[in-house]
Amino acid sequence: MTALSAGIIMAFAAAATGIAIGWLAAKSVEGTARQPEAGGMIRTTMIIAIAFIEAIALYALVTAILIWTKI
Amino acid sequence: MEHLLEHFVLKPIVPIEVGGLDLSINIAVISMWVSSFLMLLLVWTASRRVALVPQGRLTNLVEVIVDFVNTSIVEENMGQHGRQWFPFLFSLFMFIWGANLIGLVPGFFTATSSIFVTATLAFIIVFPTVHVYGIRKHGFFKYMGSFVPKGVPVFIAPFLFVIEMIGALAKPFSLTVRLFANMFAGHMVLLTFLMMILEFKSLIIAPMPLLGAVLVTALEILFTSIQAYIFTTLSAMYIADAMHGGH
Repeated sequence: MTALSAGIIMAFAAAATGIAIGWLAAKSVEGTARQPEAGGMIRTTMIIAIAFIEAIALYALVTAILIWTKI
Repeated sequence: MEHLLEHFVLKPIVPIEVGGLDLSINIAVISMWVSSFLMLLLVWTASRRVALVPQGRLTNLVEVIVDFVNTSIVEENMGQHGRQWFPFLFSLFMFIWGANLIGLVPGFFTATSSIFVTATLAFIIVFPTVHVYGIRKHGFFKYMGSFVPKGVPVFIAPFLFVIEMIGALAKPFSLTVRLFANMFAGHMVLLTFLMMILEFKSLIIAPMPLLGAVLVTALEILFTSIQAYIFTTLSAMYIADAMHGGH
């Protein structure tokens, strides 16, 4: 049962992260296409935003690992 | 599956116990020493030949790294006042980058994949630096007052202050978990691929997990560099927040 809950936690977090980062990357590419001179700034901001969103998915991973090893 | 977690258990090589605390030397300590020494050696060797036009490949490499940290991290976030912060942020960046990269060498352990190391980095190195700097620059009461945004009604201010305090504690916590979980998860994926070779026990299927392990190692090099950059950039942002007095 704990394995099932850990799997469901991670599945939801991964799905939400995938949708969020995909949308973010699409908007970044669109913004770069509209104004190529701002490409460097947009790329830097995109990488920082991806790290933030991925951190939320990794909170879920840490929770799943805590449940799995029963701490 | 217990085998995978066993790779993260640290066995003491030289047991040292001081007053009940376990300060023994294990592979994580040795990896941190080796990676810090290698980074020091790299930067020191390049600094022997400082000239207006850099000569040689090693000097050029270190110049690229120094220029990257200076432009993207210090000047981006703190402007011209940030020159004094460059040594601290450069040391932080090189330490995290070195400790992350040395884990990819077989035999060494990624020190930042242990939550104690990242918690030390975030809670003991970055968090006091930010707030002590803010208190010394603005004075204690003015710095506490900067937690509350301007122009709010008086009766909401205590709640906003408490929420901002919780936010100030959440920031180093998120730095810790972000770095730890990225390194830990990266190495778990690598170990899973390598375990697949042992699980199937067949020579025909073996090249596929091996290829996966090679690709994941390449991805790990990219991710470790990005995580070192993110940690340092966020620390620079928090210091800049304390410099400009919050909101």
